[in-house]
Amino acid sequence: MPDEEIAEEGVATPLETTVQDPLLREILTENQAAADTPQEQPQPTSAAAEEVDCVVIGLGAGGAPLLARLAQAGLKVVALEAGPWHQPETDFATDEQAQDFLFWNDERLAAGGNPLAMGRNNSGTGVGGSTLHYTAYTPRPLPDDLTLKTDFGVGEDWPLTYDELAPYFEEVEQFIGVSGPTPYPWGPARPKGYPLAPLPLNSAAQLMVRGAEKLGIRTSPAANAALSAPYFQEGVGWRQACTNRGFCQAGCSNGAKSSMDVTYIPLAVKYGADIRPNSYVTEIERNAQGLVSAVVYTQNDQSHRVACKHLFLCAGAVETPRLLLLNELALTSGQVGRNLMAHTGIQVWGTFPEEVRPTKGIPGGLISQDTHRPQNADFVGGYLLQSIGVMPVTFAGQVARGRKLWGQALRDYLRQFNHIAGINILGDCLPHADNYLELSDELDNRQVRKPRLHFTAQENEVRMTAHAEKTMRDIWAAAGATDIWSFDRYAHVIGTARMGLSGDDAVVDRNGRAFDVPNLYISDNSTFPSALSVNPALTIMALSLRTADKFLENLT
Amino acid sequence: MTFQELLPTSHVSEATRAALTQRLAETSQAAAYEPQFFAPATYRLLVAVAARLLPQPERPVPIPLAPAVDQRLATGKSDGWRYDALPPDREAYRLGLGGVEQIAQALFKADFEQLTSSQQDKVIEAVASGTPPGEVWQTLSASRFFEEVLAELTIIYYAHPWAQDEIGYTGYADLPAWTKIGLNEKEAREM
Repeated sequence: MPDEEIAEEGVATPLETTVQDPLLREILTENQAAADTPQEQPQPTSAAAEEVDCVVIGLGAGGAPLLARLAQAGLKVVALEAGPWHQPETDFATDEQAQDFLFWNDERLAAGGNPLAMGRNNSGTGVGGSTLHYTAYTPRPLPDDLTLKTDFGVGEDWPLTYDELAPYFEEVEQFIGVSGPTPYPWGPARPKGYPLAPLPLNSAAQLMVRGAEKLGIRTSPAANAALSAPYFQEGVGWRQACTNRGFCQAGCSNGAKSSMDVTYIPLAVKYGADIRPNSYVTEIERNAQGLVSAVVYTQNDQSHRVACKHLFLCAGAVETPRLLLLNELALTSGQVGRNLMAHTGIQVWGTFPEEVRPTKGIPGGLISQDTHRPQNADFVGGYLLQSIGVMPVTFAGQVARGRKLWGQALRDYLRQFNHIAGINILGDCLPHADNYLELSDELDNRQVRKPRLHFTAQENEVRMTAHAEKTMRDIWAAAGATDIWSFDRYAHVIGTARMGLSGDDAVVDRNGRAFDVPNLYISDNSTFPSALSVNPALTIMALSLRTADKFLENLT
Repeated sequence: MTFQELLPTSHVSEATRAALTQRLAETSQAAAYEPQFFAPATYRLLVAVAARLLPQPERPVPIPLAPAVDQRLATGKSDGWRYDALPPDREAYRLGLGGVEQIAQALFKADFEQLTSSQQDKVIEAVASGTPPGEVWQTLSASRFFEEVLAELTIIYYAHPWAQDEIGYTGYADLPAWTKIGLNEKEAREM
């Protein structure tokens, strides 16, 4: 009986060690034994260590745009990316399991009342970061997304206005090639429309149009950072149009999706940026003045050190605060790891008499922002509505988790796959003291303390989700769906190193510069003071360019 | 078209074909698979539980589910996160499968593998309910354990080409571009 054996080995003596995983325990014991015997010391890292102007840690939406900007300005820049550099045409299979390598698969602990699924739901690794598997849904935030506190008295205002960010939104949209409607139906008029026409609507988008029309909800083809026509990309050449594979979340194999590896990274390389894949940062060194002086990292099992004048930390809202906490860096505000937010993201699924074939086409084909500030709302902020395509294995996993179907019932339901379509929301989230990231005492497979993410949906998120669920069930019923069910979920980790006006309650200033450490900048979703009611990628890229510009302005 | 028909065609990319071919090769080796992480008895129990969570009575050779779990646990691979409420995956699986035996004993005074299919389903229903009998479940969250095991086995099952045929999925045959993507629209290769 395995249970008794385990009861003795794992549970009866929990205080013996904080490491619960038996294999890890074994490795640690072996390491301990090895440490007792004299060993050849590892070679000290190169004494004539190189020094560069800037090191950038992380090559996703936060790191890649500023890397290109810094390289274009003629600075000597090195980028350290924990994951590999892929060749999408030959490496990316149209198969979800085979693409697992796109996710940050070191284990993270999900705690609280609504534990956040990480891995494929919420993380990325590789040159391009999470943009390698983002759905490329790139709406701009609306101006009042940045003024929640002013408008509602809760949450936080951004220390930046929409007008300050708008030129950067435009620059990103034009550079990476966003396909979308012109004019855009919500928000202020724009000097320039999207560079490409919207992508074609797939079945789920057509169904959402049908249901929303009956309810008087306006819809529009969405803005997606995937090309509806061939597009010229500096540093790359002509990128091909989207082939409607629908595998955005498993990596785009033809470069049509505007991930960082086919946009800002080739631009950075063209201007001399030094990209170092498979480089996992182990230490951030400081000098006597408390300034960052060097970064130590492991590449192919070898330790390296690169000295730098400035550091840009762009590792995302989990690894960025984790590196700060591990290195005891920029902690005086007490806000590192705090204010963890996640977008409300409830999905509603239904079965239709028509054939849907939900994998084909850009997943988020349609949008409505009529629910941005709903009139009858009993909550703060709002959300957008989106039609969603889905890949089969992802969907099956959600059915298992969300519907708890098993046995014959599970197989029978999934036989209807080609008739199933979904819609979801992406809504704001308020910071709360109970929602934060901390370092646990458990070690991961790199021997580093695992992060533990506490997240519990609070009253505002619960109310918004209820409002959204009713709205979406109504839309789906009006569109002709039967067997409607919902899957409550939260996506995107945001806000664990927030920006603000003062170092008393924020980690970085409005330019992304750490209050505590003048040569440290943070550029990723960890700096967001509020979650926004739109997908974060476009805003992360815009802030990245702005941070680079402000840095360059101050460079003497 | 079925998977068998589509796989050798130019509708499937080299990378995709390699992944799917590899998965099929693992299927043919599954019968002879020797567990690397689980003790033989625990492994048999996992096979029996998987056969109720995803029953495949119509298939002479079922889509193998347990080998992938055993391999993952043996190599210490993670899917990037775990419920903080659960112990590490290896411990959770061994504890939970032990708990399944405790339920079988509590309800039917027999080993899980000796029970009829409907009795086995009663045991699984007890885990899914979140409050099964047995000492193990005092410390291990039954509902979270059930969710984790069900999700992992479901993902393994539906990643298999035979299961994808079953649900009429042909999305892996994505060359050249899909042009018929609206309601009731199909390419010839989807017929």
